[in-house]
Amino acid sequence: MLLDAEAVALDFAPEALELPKLDQPLEPGVREARLLTDAPWVRVLGRLDLTVTTEGWKFPAPTADYAPPPRAEPKVGRHVVNLPAAPVLPDGAPVPPRIRPKPTADTVLFKDRLLYLLQPPLDGLFDGRQLEVPFEPYKYQLEGIAFLMPRHGAMLCDEMGLGKTCQAILTLRLLFHQGEIQSALVVCPKPLMHNWQRELKMWAPDIPVESFEGDPDHRRRLWLVSNCPLKLINYETLTRDADLAADPRVKFDVVVLDEAQRIKNKESKTAQVVRALNRTRSWALTGTPIENRVDDLINIFEFVDSGRVPADAPPRRVAQLTSDSILRRTKDVVASDMPGKVMRDLPVELTPAQRAAYDRAENDGIIHLNELGDTISVQHVFQLVMRLKQICNFDPLTGESAKLEQLLTDMEEVAQSGRKAIVFSQWVEPLEVLAKALHRYGALQYHGKVPQNERTPILDRFKSDPDAHVILMSYGTGSVGLNLQFCNYVFLFDRWWNPAVEDQAINRAHRLGQKHPVTVTRFLSGGTIEQRIADILEAKRAVFNELIAQADKPESRGLTEDEIFGLFDIKARPKRGG
Amino acid sequence: MTIQPQTAKPGGPLALAFLAVLQEPNGWLGGYLVTNGWGRPLEFRLTTAVQPNKVQTALYGPTLVEYIHADVIGKTLVEKTAAKPDLIVTDSPAALGLRSRVEVPVVALAPAGAVPADAVAFAHARSSAGLLLPARYASDREFVVQLLDRVDSAVDLAEPFARVRDAVAEARKMGVTNRAA
Repeated sequence: MLLDAEAVALDFAPEALELPKLDQPLEPGVREARLLTDAPWVRVLGRLDLTVTTEGWKFPAPTADYAPPPRAEPKVGRHVVNLPAAPVLPDGAPVPPRIRPKPTADTVLFKDRLLYLLQPPLDGLFDGRQLEVPFEPYKYQLEGIAFLMPRHGAMLCDEMGLGKTCQAILTLRLLFHQGEIQSALVVCPKPLMHNWQRELKMWAPDIPVESFEGDPDHRRRLWLVSNCPLKLINYETLTRDADLAADPRVKFDVVVLDEAQRIKNKESKTAQVVRALNRTRSWALTGTPIENRVDDLINIFEFVDSGRVPADAPPRRVAQLTSDSILRRTKDVVASDMPGKVMRDLPVELTPAQRAAYDRAENDGIIHLNELGDTISVQHVFQLVMRLKQICNFDPLTGESAKLEQLLTDMEEVAQSGRKAIVFSQWVEPLEVLAKALHRYGALQYHGKVPQNERTPILDRFKSDPDAHVILMSYGTGSVGLNLQFCNYVFLFDRWWNPAVEDQAINRAHRLGQKHPVTVTRFLSGGTIEQRIADILEAKRAVFNELIAQADKPESRGLTEDEIFGLFDIKARPKRGG
Repeated sequence: MTIQPQTAKPGGPLALAFLAVLQEPNGWLGGYLVTNGWGRPLEFRLTTAVQPNKVQTALYGPTLVEYIHADVIGKTLVEKTAAKPDLIVTDSPAALGLRSRVEVPVVALAPAGAVPADAVAFAHARSSAGLLLPARYASDREFVVQLLDRVDSAVDLAEPFARVRDAVAEARKMGVTNRAA
């Protein structure tokens, strides 16, 4: 039978049963598991690992590799010492704070502030090889460098003789090495050009320097073509080259004005040319920032930081506006910063044997000198002086020595207190004799007879061996460039001709890093040539200390030919050149 | 596997890294200064402070401090800093574990008192404080001594940490430690 599909009513609708909704399968035990994974039974642990985020800053790098200058002495292999630094001394004296540049108050950006906060401390920095200097700068000079480094406008107004030049040069050198500057111009009075060249060679031998000298074409090349990092010019030449100096292609990261009082007259051509120099940092050096009127300072400040001080500002306001940019120290103030040094002139009486030998040699020698007549030369006098000084050290026949007897007494005390001493002599031979006599104090020798490759290990042993209480050095080999600030005693067994060399020798121990006073004992045989030389040198030292800072030429303080002849009151001597 | 330090660059420019880990009120914070061979700063990097919670403290147990100093702070700073050092010096002996995560020798300034069991002590003229090497990497000593011999004699390895602390204090004052990213 066929069914008509349309005829069949398919209205059958199955009834849907409402089944209970189960959001979890009905399986035994599952419900309990669900409950245990919920709070409060279980809490979310969160991340088990720990993370940090970071932020970093890169600092400028020097555009050139300023290689350290070659040493006077060939460098030998370093000998490693396992004991660092100076021995710990018992009195627990507080370590002085390090000297570091600090960002100025108007340095706003954190990156700029970091640049100075992260610089190495200046004390000790110049002890190293990379920034080697002939003498360790004094603490106040390091503070001067720390003052100049972060400042774009600064006046260093130290009293004459405190080493403003040295401070400015070392600051420039550091900024070159740190990549903070690539070009600098120093402007100085014409008579000081040579002095600046000499000081630059001394304090920054690794920074190339050119002086604006010669014809206009040559100077034009220096202004516009040369990429020498450091240039030196005098005020007169700068004024002549005013157009070139103001050329927009000419730009300096630093301009240093020496004797900046030269621009105290605002309207002068010199002042105008100086102010027109395109520059980032402006430093003025002067010992007399105010020669006559406060306007002198205001006008110099037009170079240092143009517009900071209004022309009509009252003096009190001028002081407020300039105080952060001016540093001035006087000799009286900085004297207290020098580390302690006790100078002890120790007169010794020659032993009878020494006295007899000395008198005989002196009498015979003077007779001989007088017999020379017009043929006498300074070398003849020198020979006698040397002979007499050697007798003051040791009697040539018996080997007796009044100085050695005293030294043995002093060394006993040095060794008992666990300290170390340096003994300097002009000659190697007495040092070799002393080495035997001081054997029980672990005496080491450091002089010209010691091979180069053995010298550094000797110094390292002296530093690290607690039984080595004394090192015997010749002035020639040991007086320059060594850091022995772990020594507290210096003995000058005999005297050098030039107090500057003696000072350098003493400064091996008496230098920054020294935590205790240094006792310097200068042996002097009474009634001998040593006493006469000492008197002359002391007079010269006094004059020097009055006038000139330690950075001056050491040679300038030795005995002159006239003074050498005068030691024996010899009047009949040849006229030079005649 | 022991990770060997890279061969020393004879005569080439040195880079020294100083990793300081400071405990701040809000956790541990790392400061990382890379200098050249005479102490000039090349790069500096800071971390945010990291403060473990109680669960982390319980889970990491006695390894927590080393994990934070060496892995979380030390390794992150070394990896994020562009300047690659020849030697890493840290003021935290707990960070010596960093040595196993990087190919650079790591030494720590020796604290006063006994030498940690997992470290070996030695001294060098370039450091006013004694130095520690991780015991597992005691063979680094010869390499480290060679490196330190080339460091300028003006450098004291203990000194740059004062600079880092000053920089961290400045960063805190200027709110930088909160924004490190």
